[in-house]
Amino acid sequence: MLNFEDVEDRDGVRLSWNVWPSSRIESTRTVVPISALYTPLKQREDLPPVLYEPVTCKPPCRAVLNPYCQIDIRGKLWICPFCLQRNAFPPHYKDISNTNLPAELLPKYTTIEYTLSRPAQAPPIFLFVVDTCLDEDDLKALRDALVVSLSLIPPFALVGLITFGTMTQVHELGYAECSKSYVFRGGKEYSPKQIQDMLGLSAQNRAAPRPGQPMPQQTFGAARFLLPVSQCEFQLTGILESLARDPWPVANDKRALRCAGVALSVAVGMLETTFPNTGARIMLFAGGPATEGPGMVVSNELKEPIRSHHDIDRDSAKHFKRASKFYEGLAKRASNNGHVVDLFAGCLDQIGLLEMKSLPNCTNGVIVLADSFATSIFKQSYLRLFNKDEAGQLEMGFNATFDVQTTKELKVSGVISHAISAGKKSACVGETEIGIGQTSAWKINAITPKTAAAVYFEVVTPAGQPLQPGSRGLIQFVTHYQHASGQMRLRVTTIARNFAEAGSPSIAASFDQEAAAVLMARIAVFKAEVDDSPDVLRWLDRMLIRLCQKFADYRKEDPTSFRLTDNFSIYPQFMFHLRRSQFLQVFNNSPDETAFYRHILNEEDVNNSLIMIQPTLMSYTFDVPPQPVLLDSVSIKPDVILLLDTFFHILIFHGETVAQWRKAGYQEQEGYENFKELLESPVADAQDLLVDRFPIPRYIVCDQGGSQARFLLSKLNPSTTHMSSSMYGAAPGANGQAIFTDDVSLQVFMEHLKRLAVGAQTN
Amino acid sequence: FQQQQAVAGGQGGYYGENPEYINAPQQQTYPQHSPAQMGALADQFGQMNMGQKGPRLFTTNLLAAPPEPFELHQPPPPILLPPGACLSPSPFANADPSYQRSTLNAIPTTNALLGKSKIPLGLVLTPYRSLKEGDEPVPLVTDTVIARCRRCRTYINPYVQFIDGGNRWRCCMCSLSNEVPQLFDWDQVRNQPGDRWARPELNHAVVEFVAPTEYMVRPPQPAVYIFLIDVSHNAVQTGMVATATRTILENLDRIPDESGRTKVALIAFDTSLYFFSMPPGGSESSMLVVSDIDDVFLPKPTDLLVNLSEGRQALESLLGRLSDMFQDNHTIGSALGPALQAGFQLMSPIGGKIVALTSTLPSVGPGALKNREDPKILGTAKESGLLQAASPFYKTFAIECSRAQVSVDMFLFSSSYQDVATLACLPHYTAGQTYFYPAFNASRTEDAIKFAHEFGEVLAQPIMLEAVMRVRASKSLRMSSFHGNFFVRSTDLLAMPAVPQDLSYAIEVQIEDTITAPFVVFQTAVLHTTCYGERRIRVVTTALPTSSNLSEIFASADQVAIATLLANKAVERSITHKLEDSRDALFNKMVEILGAYKASMTAAGAGASAQLAISENLKMLPVLVLGLLKNVGIRQSAQIPPDLRAYAQALLTSLPSQVLMPYIYPTFYSLHNMAPECGTVGEQGVIMPSPLPPTSEKLERHGLFLIEDGQTIFLWVGRDAVPQLIIDVFNLPSYETTLPVLDNVFSQRVNAVIQKTREMRRGPYYPHLYVVKEDGEPALRLWALSCLIQDRADVLPSYQQFISQLKDKVNGSSY
Ligand SMILES: [Zn+2]
Ligand SMILES: [Zn+2]
Repeated sequence: MLNFEDVEDRDGVRLSWNVWPSSRIESTRTVVPISALYTPLKQREDLPPVLYEPVTCKPPCRAVLNPYCQIDIRGKLWICPFCLQRNAFPPHYKDISNTNLPAELLPKYTTIEYTLSRPAQAPPIFLFVVDTCLDEDDLKALRDALVVSLSLIPPFALVGLITFGTMTQVHELGYAECSKSYVFRGGKEYSPKQIQDMLGLSAQNRAAPRPGQPMPQQTFGAARFLLPVSQCEFQLTGILESLARDPWPVANDKRALRCAGVALSVAVGMLETTFPNTGARIMLFAGGPATEGPGMVVSNELKEPIRSHHDIDRDSAKHFKRASKFYEGLAKRASNNGHVVDLFAGCLDQIGLLEMKSLPNCTNGVIVLADSFATSIFKQSYLRLFNKDEAGQLEMGFNATFDVQTTKELKVSGVISHAISAGKKSACVGETEIGIGQTSAWKINAITPKTAAAVYFEVVTPAGQPLQPGSRGLIQFVTHYQHASGQMRLRVTTIARNFAEAGSPSIAASFDQEAAAVLMARIAVFKAEVDDSPDVLRWLDRMLIRLCQKFADYRKEDPTSFRLTDNFSIYPQFMFHLRRSQFLQVFNNSPDETAFYRHILNEEDVNNSLIMIQPTLMSYTFDVPPQPVLLDSVSIKPDVILLLDTFFHILIFHGETVAQWRKAGYQEQEGYENFKELLESPVADAQDLLVDRFPIPRYIVCDQGGSQARFLLSKLNPSTTHMSSSMYGAAPGANGQAIFTDDVSLQVFMEHLKRLAVGAQTN
Repeated sequence: FQQQQAVAGGQGGYYGENPEYINAPQQQTYPQHSPAQMGALADQFGQMNMGQKGPRLFTTNLLAAPPEPFELHQPPPPILLPPGACLSPSPFANADPSYQRSTLNAIPTTNALLGKSKIPLGLVLTPYRSLKEGDEPVPLVTDTVIARCRRCRTYINPYVQFIDGGNRWRCCMCSLSNEVPQLFDWDQVRNQPGDRWARPELNHAVVEFVAPTEYMVRPPQPAVYIFLIDVSHNAVQTGMVATATRTILENLDRIPDESGRTKVALIAFDTSLYFFSMPPGGSESSMLVVSDIDDVFLPKPTDLLVNLSEGRQALESLLGRLSDMFQDNHTIGSALGPALQAGFQLMSPIGGKIVALTSTLPSVGPGALKNREDPKILGTAKESGLLQAASPFYKTFAIECSRAQVSVDMFLFSSSYQDVATLACLPHYTAGQTYFYPAFNASRTEDAIKFAHEFGEVLAQPIMLEAVMRVRASKSLRMSSFHGNFFVRSTDLLAMPAVPQDLSYAIEVQIEDTITAPFVVFQTAVLHTTCYGERRIRVVTTALPTSSNLSEIFASADQVAIATLLANKAVERSITHKLEDSRDALFNKMVEILGAYKASMTAAGAGASAQLAISENLKMLPVLVLGLLKNVGIRQSAQIPPDLRAYAQALLTSLPSQVLMPYIYPTFYSLHNMAPECGTVGEQGVIMPSPLPPTSEKLERHGLFLIEDGQTIFLWVGRDAVPQLIIDVFNLPSYETTLPVLDNVFSQRVNAVIQKTREMRRGPYYPHLYVVKEDGEPALRLWALSCLIQDRADVLPSYQQFISQLKDKVNGSSY
């Protein structure tokens, strides 16, 4: 039996199935598609430095040599397992032998990373796009954070600054005479060509230099706007420090004019002209919604409220479609060039993230939602982005592309991740489309050790073909990216899994319910982006029932006989929580929050995704070590402290009694040391959770009965609702807190599931 | 005189203190006052003694009497008002001709009579004349008591009559009886009875009133200057930018800013616009680049237009560095139109003066122009097309400016075609002025000095802001057409957002009805805001006698005024018709006047005559007309670049007579043999040589001459000039282009004459000095010789030929 987490540690892969059905038809019957949640840059301390180019198969295959290749030491040949072609080893491999194999052929290096000889054509680029319609404190906090980040960005990296408010200003950092910026009207849509011309990035209308005089490079071209930190830190710090609030007056009944759309289009236009197809991050810092020009989310009239989910449902959000389309256009251009757009919101209200979501979604940018730039959520999250590895390099890769290669039994259905199709119509592209399909390569641009892509496959072998003994399928993931150091690198992971006959118990036994839940969640959310959520819920239910029908033990039409094996047992619970989660139930959240939650779900690994789907709950009380408890209203007790982690929120909840004692200050009194300890223990644990979380979760401390406690209650299984007692009398053992909800409880959900699974066919 | 009697009869005790003024019909008027004009005054007395009403007519024969340059310095024929016309014995009670003059100093009583004389009737005015040392300042009425006719809105002036015991006054224009303001006889400052006779408006023809609030649509605006500086490759490389910024820097203290309210902005441009934000009190500016020139906008709501004193530090630092900032600018092309629009947006809430300095043909954005210079059409009927605006932008924009009280001055520097004709539209309609420095290059010292001086003067000039001008006249007279730099708003109201000093305007006058009054009055009123923030009205009043006698009409004709008016009309005609039409019209007008004179004033009548007669006071008119015909703005030629032509035309329609005369009839001095006192300082300042008629007949091969037309000075060195002379003047052999001041008397005298020549001229112009060697560079030599307008030049006749053509025409005609 495979240990899924060991595999994950080695190859960064979690698969829904680890033994694969051998035919298309059987594969369909297993309901959850063969799929992988792959973390390309999964940190591996033990990876050897490989400072040579990979050996690849002949075009068009180009699969990379790996431990699953059959090699002929004598003939200096290797057989590509993907296309079965023979390839000669390159001349410098002439000395290989069974005892002298290059790393990529060693079984322990199914994942390997090559450092390529051709360096990146440009250093990493960070282009700040800064909202100046902020109040003084907020602006100051933002300025400070930006200044601090300059010391965290590698000195050779290029930085640039665009500020915006009523208008957009591109600061010419390379100008020595005085502070200089190019100003663009906020209300106007500029074409890429116009932006290029207006910034003087195209050389036209110029006098020829006088004989013997070189054309001064500094006076035009990108070098004026994007300079190495080491060269412009002083100047840029000066500009940032003197950055003032947008000077245009704002009437009392108006919002500030904020032309985020123009600012972003200028940023995208500038980079695509000057640094196409190289690593760059556009970092937008927005203190409110765009109220002017293309990409406007709400008008600047305060009497017009910003759109809600209801407005969008009713099709009455008047700027929504246009704005979304505008940002989608930008997102496409940015991502095609390998550029990333990050969104940092410092605003109590919405900033139009829903409309702008395609920017981070297509480019794998980050989203940080904070109430203000003065919050630690913003500050710590922003600075955490610049975390360094042990070698002192940023833990981020740039301009990444992601290629998938499969053996002939398998085809790629698609990817669900923050990516766009790279349009590679190779032989491994399948007909079925899940997520971004019709390609076997994607651009994911930004890449961190946590970036996790969901890749879906289909088995294409027709039914009835006898299975060769020991036959297995192979998948190779090839990730090409620009390392923060300026090197180009290639991470290759090759995995092999056995095929099994229809009905073989090994298939069921290979089911990774956690990975499967996450992979299905991604499909559900992807569907929810286009479909109505009731349809998605119905689809999820149907899939769950079919899976149970297929893999549970039961007697027909006898729900009590229904049993699931261990590796399926908690899957329904994940689905129960997924159905209730903010990913699919949007109406308790703003459109911006929905966009944010869905974005995060699509980038995290299995463990973190599971926390989002089914938050963890720890209970602390006297005399017992802290222990995980059911995410259920029964876990609320007067004498416990609960620590809830939803990934987005970390909440410490004091039961009634604990809260009273705390209020009374017992923890400060002698003789109550254990109470003090009890109070401190979840706080310390919460700190541990915060350590490597991105973005920083919202940290809430609340008491039973307090208003903040709603964050906890909304996540709990409503086994005890306000309905329970009135309709059915007190439920047995119902000593938890009643939750005001009409949702069904997990128990009710399970009852339904059993009935349906064992009952008539559902389709 | 009935009315006058009534005044006398109604005299009450209240006026006991100075009855002699009211009861003084015998008071002589003093139309002239300068000492130089005493001779004319004496003549007047003489004529009065002879009992004659009008001036005497002296006929002269042009064939026998060549032009005498000094005659142009004579005063115009005297204004002989009937006794009692004027309330005041003041010598300033009638306007000095430098402020306002009429082509006729006796107004024909009928239009038929005027027609018979063939002399065009018009006013030539320079209401905002500069004051040279020793000039009488314009008296100011500060008590905001302004008496105006209820009907025709004429301002009270020395030509009204007090009636009803001095309680009322009768309007000199429309005869309406108006109440005298009580405060006329009450001194508000001292709070005691006042002396109405001491009031400036009753003694002075040129007077200024401090306007009360009803003359304001808004509080007086501060003076605002916005500099638009071309920083494209050429502009920087020719040193224009450096010279311009240095000049502004050096003249910051001279920019009118007594009340500390003056505001300044600077916008640089090539194909983009560069704004400079100068936060008050700061020492640094930041540059904001706007490249969206199709849709110009202000990049910031504040700090672009700064208070001169508050932004001084930043402004100085910016001016000191601007040229260096753009030293490496390789951009070619000009977004002048967008720069103007930007300046307009910045200024339009207040109004003021935009100074545009540009080295290239506007090439991008609104107002972009095409190079339409085509040597093939020069000298043809199509040439006048080049003198018309090529794009409607500049006129449309000008009208927008005018409405917003924005005036534009253009400083043009291009070495290639710049379309001066089109660009000059903007100053033309916004009451600004165009300055042209063709192929400017600051490495030539003379270029740099000329521009720096003129620009400096323009900056230092006081300006009238937010001005409107209207000329009122006695019944039966109507202002019929207007020439000069302004925009005509509502039939006769001339809108002038910022009036520079020493700009001249010409207005044609129509006699609509028989005039019965013995004299008529023209009154020009300019309502304006001073650059120090005071709302004022400048009033210029000219009273002229009427006459039904053609001989008096001829005898009162002012040849300088006529030539000035003709210059304006000729330019207008060259644009609306053809250059050739314009020249024909000039020539024919001269023929008509001579014909009319011959027919009615000489014995020859309609028959042929061996003489060509004209009155003595019009003796210079033919040569002035010849000068006009030979001026670059009008001249028949296929060689004149359209830009030079257009600029000359801008000068012809804006120079005050005092500067226009040498411009069409250059001054010519012989220096090597000038009298010993010439060039030394006498009682009246530097003593000048006698001017010679501008003809090469006067040139001597060994001589040193000075030719000057107000815009250029040529120092002509004869080919056989004696070495000692050259050494004295030029410190031989270094006499290529400049004139040194040397340690010898002759050098100092020559320099003094040149200095005085420059000082004499009104306006900011600083003539470029060229040293011309008779055997030197042919082009320069030809240029200098072209100023000698009495000579023949190619197809253009000499003065003798011209006179004889005129004579033939006059004899051949039916007069
Ligand atoms: Zn292959
Ligand atoms: Zn009147």
